[in-house]
Amino acid sequence: MAEEKPIVFAHVDDMPEMVMSIASMLWNKTGSWRYLRPRYEDRVPPCNEACPAGNDIEGFIRLLGEGQPAEAWRLLKEENPMPAVTGRVCFHPCEYGCNRVHFDAPTSIQALERYAADHAAGELDWAWRAPTGKKIAVVGAGPAGLAAAYHSRRLGHDVVVYDALPQAGGLLRIGIPAYRLPRDILDAEIAAIEKMGVVFELGVRVGVDVPFAKLAEFDAVFVAAGVHVNRKLGVEGEDGPGVVAGLGLLAKVALGEKFACGRDVVVIGGGNSAVDAARVARRLGANVTIAYRRTKVEMPAFEEEVRDAEEEGVRLELLVAPTRIRRDGGAVTGVELQRMELGEPDESGRRRPVPVRGSEFDLPCDMVVAAIGEAADLSFLPPEIKQEWGKIVIDAFGLTGRPGVFAGGDIADPQQNVAQALGDGKRAAIAIDRFLHGETIADIGGKIIVGERGCASMAQYAKRGASHAKIIDAQHVAAYEELNLWHFTRAERDRMARAPLAERLAGFAEINLGLTDAQAAHAAERCFHCGVCTMCDNCYVFCPDVSILHKTDGGYGYNIELDYCKGCGICVKECPRAAMSLGEE
Amino acid sequence: MKKVIMGNHAASWAVMLSRVQVISAYPITPQTQIVEELSEMCGDGRLAAKFLKVESEHSAMASVIAASATGVRAFTATSANGLALMHELLHWAAGARLPVVMVNVNRAMAPGWNIWADQSDSLSQRDTGWIQIYAEDNQEVLDSVLMAYRLAEIVRLPVMVCYDAFFLSHTYEPVDIPSPDMVDRYLPPYQPEIFLDPQAPHSFFGLVMPDVYMEMRYKMQQAMERVPAVAAQAADEFAAIFGRRYDMVEAIECDDAETVLVTSSTTTSPARVLIKQLRAEGKKIGVLKLRFFRPFPTDEVRRALKGKKRVVVVDRNISFGKGGIWADELRGALAGRPGMPQVYDFVTGLGGRDITPNLLAEIVADAEARKTPDRLLYWKGVNQ
Repeated sequence: MAEEKPIVFAHVDDMPEMVMSIASMLWNKTGSWRYLRPRYEDRVPPCNEACPAGNDIEGFIRLLGEGQPAEAWRLLKEENPMPAVTGRVCFHPCEYGCNRVHFDAPTSIQALERYAADHAAGELDWAWRAPTGKKIAVVGAGPAGLAAAYHSRRLGHDVVVYDALPQAGGLLRIGIPAYRLPRDILDAEIAAIEKMGVVFELGVRVGVDVPFAKLAEFDAVFVAAGVHVNRKLGVEGEDGPGVVAGLGLLAKVALGEKFACGRDVVVIGGGNSAVDAARVARRLGANVTIAYRRTKVEMPAFEEEVRDAEEEGVRLELLVAPTRIRRDGGAVTGVELQRMELGEPDESGRRRPVPVRGSEFDLPCDMVVAAIGEAADLSFLPPEIKQEWGKIVIDAFGLTGRPGVFAGGDIADPQQNVAQALGDGKRAAIAIDRFLHGETIADIGGKIIVGERGCASMAQYAKRGASHAKIIDAQHVAAYEELNLWHFTRAERDRMARAPLAERLAGFAEINLGLTDAQAAHAAERCFHCGVCTMCDNCYVFCPDVSILHKTDGGYGYNIELDYCKGCGICVKECPRAAMSLGEE
Repeated sequence: MKKVIMGNHAASWAVMLSRVQVISAYPITPQTQIVEELSEMCGDGRLAAKFLKVESEHSAMASVIAASATGVRAFTATSANGLALMHELLHWAAGARLPVVMVNVNRAMAPGWNIWADQSDSLSQRDTGWIQIYAEDNQEVLDSVLMAYRLAEIVRLPVMVCYDAFFLSHTYEPVDIPSPDMVDRYLPPYQPEIFLDPQAPHSFFGLVMPDVYMEMRYKMQQAMERVPAVAAQAADEFAAIFGRRYDMVEAIECDDAETVLVTSSTTTSPARVLIKQLRAEGKKIGVLKLRFFRPFPTDEVRRALKGKKRVVVVDRNISFGKGGIWADELRGALAGRPGMPQVYDFVTGLGGRDITPNLLAEIVADAEARKTPDRLLYWKGVNQ
């Protein structure tokens, strides 16, 4: 810039009307005043951290918001082979983590996941890596095994999945009735895994049909055989016809086997298996009572499933425990129940049921369903695979006591749910991949975890490439307090339409009917996108120094003109979603 | 198109027709409906303006100052204590030479809390550098806002259009709403030569040393002095397009009058009724309606009042320790000139008390009964 001479006004008429500099002010590089520098810094959305399957929830909702449901589905598939399943049956811990909980009501994440999966289109570009020739055996074709197989296949390994059942899916198939998870939905997502070249050996029980030792032929093994042994009631009259296990009933109906349901059925238990068994029995024409030893509040089953069961005419008999099964000539005639009252809290934090002496009464019925939980059968495992509390002992990444043998899902994880199992499978696939490369996962473990407590992220693992340096280790989770809530408005949460009651009881058709396009658009719009820049332009608008600029090539994000940015921090303050930070130079 | 609308909505219509680009306001009775209606107009697309919600009148004025500095047409509206809260920024808007237009619905200052008509709120902003116009009816409200933008953008000073609480703000009258096409002919798009432009950055409104500050003030006074000529031209053009004429003052039956009632705002209307009666009785009486307070129409009042026997000023306001503000200004304009009349000042109608033709008749009779004004002001209607 040329040398500036002072401007002197000889006459009042030479002066501008406004109080302003005559010369351009570009010479004044106000950036030199700055001692704090704004930065664009994406944080981890709390939903992503809360997802046990490690989904990029914010990302897929953004794609939905942009009107790209198929791309949203593709993004979900990066972390989870079964979004159509979890979009229906996951207990959506993400929604409990959602920052909107503190604002009005959480974003309808699960319904949106289902919407994206139901709008899947086109092929999945699944192969990340050329075939490695390494072979992995997976024991159990439930969600954990399927996820491990899917991700291992994507990493280039050959996978064989063994399952004792005649069809793949594990508890998804035999434990969750079709009205919650239609068969064609489950079949399609399993078929997609099979199409990738994963080999299924069904009807083959490891430890019986194939000795566990034979799996040593594989380069690595993932054990995810689930929990299938029904716990017994431990009361007189339990053994014999007319008393069935909850999971047994569900499995028989799910697999299309013959099952003669009673007319008056009492289901013992308060978990999801109990409620599902009751609702299936209702659909088979029975009068059904659920007998549970605590109150409705303590029932481990999902609240909405209990509500649905009651809508469908299932009766709840609360604060009772069975003391004997009444039989007449072998046939069940009823169950003797004893009244309970709630005492001090037990180790689960729920108040312990205490029997009320002399309160026994008979509930007439012709069938009793025992659905008080299932245990794992660990008898097929060699002794060096350690067991504790009925589960396989694993480290933070699924490794058992034997090198090369990993485990996950219900057989090893105290968190028994679908999303957790899917996450376990993925985590094991990554750990196995490291193992097959002669490394351990420990050195990169923390850097592929979503947030501090989340699941391992396949996207983060893939980014790793050849160099550890590429891994993003920003694990800061965007907290509610960090958002600028002035920029958001309250909005109703969208709810799916549901099939009418008469239709529900007439068969096994799906109950929840999914979001409409308009609902999905609205639901996606409600997402805060915590910690992630959506190019909302707030920083651009608020910058008092015109120092936040759109990229000249129209690319994503903004440039900060550091010659003039004074570091006032207004952009950071006005970012609605805490996707910027202000730090020292 | 004729519509029966309240004065506040006449203001809203004028803002819409002026194609204002930024509106920011904070609600206060009796102004609220102006911006309520404008927010609807912005909401349903009739008006393509940004409507900024703010937390105070101070912020409202700050927002329109900022908007105006970027070269867009800006509007706000307020009343009484809201206007007082803007005080610092009134100086700011004028000192920055920004052609902001604001409606102020004249309301009494608190305490005691009173939401009714009283001019003390705007008259006490006398020295802020704003042009001030006072309207008599709803048609004049609409027309004055259109003319205000014309005037403001030529002389680069902000304009305050004032009218009485409830007597106009909430009263429905037939208003001829001009077509957008006519208004566009009258009011071209605002395209200032100087504005805050990120592509050509200048420093605005910064430090000014003693060597040029006085010149900045001199230029503001020059701008004020241009107003009578510019206002006259704006009135000519307005009359040509809309068929209605508004000068800085309106002299009604003043030519042969011995007594002239000097009024402003809605006080003019009962005065019009009264002089009809008195003229019918053979009295030589006229009315001088003052539309402009700033700049004060000094030449116009001198012309209109020269040679009259007495001038009776009706002041719905009070400058404590002095008297009615219009009368005080008028005396200043007439002082030291040969052949000027005696000025009788009547303070009345404060806080929304009615000023009827009968009350004005009493005032005229009171003044005419005196040989000379023996007091600076006379109160009319005080229970004492």
